[in-house]
Amino acid sequence: MGRLKVLACQALSVAALLLAWEAAVRWRLLDPLFVPAPSSILRVLGVTGAEALPRLGETLVKTLLGYALAILAGVPAGLVLGSRPTAHAVAMPYVVALYGVPKILVLPWIALIFGIGLSTAVLSAAVFAVFPVVVLVAAGTRDVDAALVTVATSMGASRAQIIRKVILPAVLPSVLAAMRVAMVFALLGTLIAEMLAGNRGMGFQMQRTALAFRAPELFAATAIVSVVSISVVLFLEHLNTRLGRWR
Amino acid sequence: MTTGAPIVVESVSKRYETPSGPVPAVETVSLTVRPREFVSLLGPSGCGKSTLLAMIGGLVPPDAGRILIEGTPISGPTPSKVALVFQDPGLFPWRTALDNVGFGLELTGVGAARRREIALSLLEPMGLKGFESKYPRELSGGMRQRVAIARALALDTPILLMDEPFGALDEQTRLLMGEWLVEVRHRTQRTIVFVTHSLHEAIALSDRIAVMTARPGRIKDVVEVPLPYPRALDGPDAVALHAKLWAQIREESLRAMEGRR
Amino acid sequence: MRIWLWRLGLLLIALTLWEAVARMLNPILYVGPSRLPGALARVLATRDLPPLPGHVWLTVGEIAAAYVLAVAGGLWVGFLLGLRRTVGRIYEPLLATLYAVPSVVWYPSLMLFFGLGPASKIAFGFLLGFFPVTLAVLAGIRQVPATLVTVAVSMGARPWTVFRKVMLPAMASTMVGGLRTGLALSVVGVLVGELLGARAGLGYVINYAYGLMMTAEYAALVVLVAAAVLLLDGAGALIEARVKQWAG
Repeated sequence: MGRLKVLACQALSVAALLLAWEAAVRWRLLDPLFVPAPSSILRVLGVTGAEALPRLGETLVKTLLGYALAILAGVPAGLVLGSRPTAHAVAMPYVVALYGVPKILVLPWIALIFGIGLSTAVLSAAVFAVFPVVVLVAAGTRDVDAALVTVATSMGASRAQIIRKVILPAVLPSVLAAMRVAMVFALLGTLIAEMLAGNRGMGFQMQRTALAFRAPELFAATAIVSVVSISVVLFLEHLNTRLGRWR
Repeated sequence: MTTGAPIVVESVSKRYETPSGPVPAVETVSLTVRPREFVSLLGPSGCGKSTLLAMIGGLVPPDAGRILIEGTPISGPTPSKVALVFQDPGLFPWRTALDNVGFGLELTGVGAARRREIALSLLEPMGLKGFESKYPRELSGGMRQRVAIARALALDTPILLMDEPFGALDEQTRLLMGEWLVEVRHRTQRTIVFVTHSLHEAIALSDRIAVMTARPGRIKDVVEVPLPYPRALDGPDAVALHAKLWAQIREESLRAMEGRR
Repeated sequence: MRIWLWRLGLLLIALTLWEAVARMLNPILYVGPSRLPGALARVLATRDLPPLPGHVWLTVGEIAAAYVLAVAGGLWVGFLLGLRRTVGRIYEPLLATLYAVPSVVWYPSLMLFFGLGPASKIAFGFLLGFFPVTLAVLAGIRQVPATLVTVAVSMGARPWTVFRKVMLPAMASTMVGGLRTGLALSVVGVLVGELLGARAGLGYVINYAYGLMMTAEYAALVVLVAAAVLLLDGAGALIEARVKQWAG
């Protein structure tokens, strides 16, 4: 099946779903209080969108700050763990264990200390994002082809030259992959923090409209956040393809 | 272009520590390589020929004995005298062919323009003109190995060490690369030490063949190959030599196979 | 062996640092490890906090329901998309796009629809656990070596037999990995759901403790839940290793 045909099928499927949904609500098969009709969502999209913009901005700022923290802490940690086999063997089980623990469990405590606001959300984003970064970067560092290091050594490269000219370029794809994954986790952390203990941002907005039974507004907000998130991920993947011509 | 230099291997031994105790890889090997000579190290798998080559390249220190290059004992990689090529071309995937060839020069601080000049001059006679901006993943196995050899040649060292460089290639490519290596050798007049387990390759390429025993590796015999280039492997001299070598190698290969049980 | 010593050392150093820092700071906010056993005892004795057993069972039930649904749904969709090439080509990219959305955005809508009771938590746990299972089935199908299928077909095996005796065992390792991740995520989904808005369950109890500033009890509960989650995943890891050993 050609690419165009596939795209057409996808578009048709989505359209069919929306139509069926609209019909189901109009014929009272679905209660509009809980599941709003797509038409009603569209109607409030303009208003909700305008309202949402500043909130979206807040959420994104918190996400980016937490993301930056996670990268700044996680990439060096991953590099160190990946390049030293003993450190890796000793510390990695703890990292993986902490990664496996639902991080939301510590959010109430962070909120207790830092209050309801920016810091909690930023820290939450950082906590959620840092673990995949450490794990991915450590794995990438461990996987650097030993043959490449041997070649450089046989040509008389110093330790610094080996790190600069062999290890860092070899690790770059893993670091970029980690940075892509971390973005979604950071956004997740921010939203959860806003829902749990926040009074601003999209997460809070969504929680509030849900509890107020304002279904169209909630679904509109959900759609907006989803679209933004998908766009960010697509953009990062595009960057990744552009930068990785040699792979 | 520099001329070849002598390598003297004096009673060199190497052990490897394994969980089940030390395993001798190479035992009291002595060998002299004359300037501009092409010497092959021939032996069954696991006989220590790669270890010996790594020691000459300064990548692995011997436990006993020493290695002298141009009369000076070595204590580590000697990039001014020795360049290595391995079975895995080891090209940096993020660098183009041109930048790969220039890597060694980059390490010694040669300027970009000069590096480009030297790299192009090495890639062209290898039939890689037009491929200098390609990345390794865009090149075939034979091409990658040629780039790796060009990278080694760029250092302009008197000695070239090659560890089964054509082992990962298919038969036809291997034969063609062998012919091409003979031509490179005559053009550049370097000393070459070549590790292989293929009798054909050894006979086709070398001035002398050092036959190694199964582990622990010792030099069983050093055979002269007085055939003129280009070599016809079906001539009576070549066939006789092949038979003689095979008799020696066969014994060692059997021993190697049994030893691995 | 030395590595175990180092690991133990690292743990001890971390615990000591934690204790030292906690003592220096406000005891209402910072709880050192030494206070945890006492707090745990108080939690279990059901003083000041709702009785644990009922809530624990509820949460466990929610997780079980969510996981069963996630596995059933994931297997069904995974095989549908994986075995029918055209259907897969159309819908898998759509699925992958959804994966790019942080899962928690669906939760308010689920809360709106299902209310604050167990249903929304089960739904969310299902949603989270569904994706890894589906993706694992898809990946598993893809990595079945075509030669194996060819061999079976050439010996006269019919489609269902080929599926049962060739594809399933060849997929087993990848699928088990997905089932394990799916369990971990279903657990997270249920817990997140309970913490964000519930009237019962472990998450509710944790929120209760935190709401009353009973930090030590809260910390004890968190450690308990974390330990339980790790044990569960550890069991999953053992099963995965066993399957990998058998399936190759």
